[in-house]
Amino acid sequence: MGEGTKKILEMLHQGKISVEEAENLLAAISSESASTEGPTTGVGAKKYLRIQVEPDEGGDRVNVRIPLKLIRAGLKLAAFLPNDAQSQVRHALQEKGIDLSKLTPADLEELVANLDDLTVDVEGKQKVRIHSE
Amino acid sequence: MIPMIVRLDVRDPSQRGIVLLFPVILVWILVFALLIAVFPFVLVAALFTIGQGLGKRLLLFYPFFFGTVFALSGLRVDVMSHTNSKIFISFD
Repeated sequence: MGEGTKKILEMLHQGKISVEEAENLLAAISSESASTEGPTTGVGAKKYLRIQVEPDEGGDRVNVRIPLKLIRAGLKLAAFLPNDAQSQVRHALQEKGIDLSKLTPADLEELVANLDDLTVDVEGKQKVRIHSE
Repeated sequence: MIPMIVRLDVRDPSQRGIVLLFPVILVWILVFALLIAVFPFVLVAALFTIGQGLGKRLLLFYPFFFGTVFALSGLRVDVMSHTNSKIFISFD
């Protein structure tokens, strides 16, 4: 167990940080150590897609961890949707400016591999952070 | 690894919270048993519709469905409102 991990566990024990904060810190330490040990093996090193929404005031705080395998499996399973339903979903997304028709599993792999740490500010009210871990 | 337990944690400051550990493996056993039971019929349907391209889809549904179920492990959703109400769902 590294010094950083011990320190985080001590802080958690003393109640200085919450369980979630400790989890985030431990994830950050593990990703740092992985990057210092050598180049990661691309997507193989990343297992989850994390989406965090932190409102400035009065909003809901969201923290979602989605396994990348689930996204890939979901893309495959989505092919079983009837063509009519697929076109309706595609049309509804295109109305919102999202075009996923050309997104293939290979594109998704590349997208996730390059998605180390993306932070998006939404109208200055919410902070949305999307990253793989 | 297939998810065996779903943890549902609902907390509201004004009410009693609920922490539910549901053995979702029981659901998977029932679903898998059902899928195996209907497999002969699916196979016949696939053979009859293979010319239209639907048969291949029917057969591929099984591995893709199992893949999705197995990939559920590790999914976590945590939502906390400004009133400190909290919903936490985790597939472990």
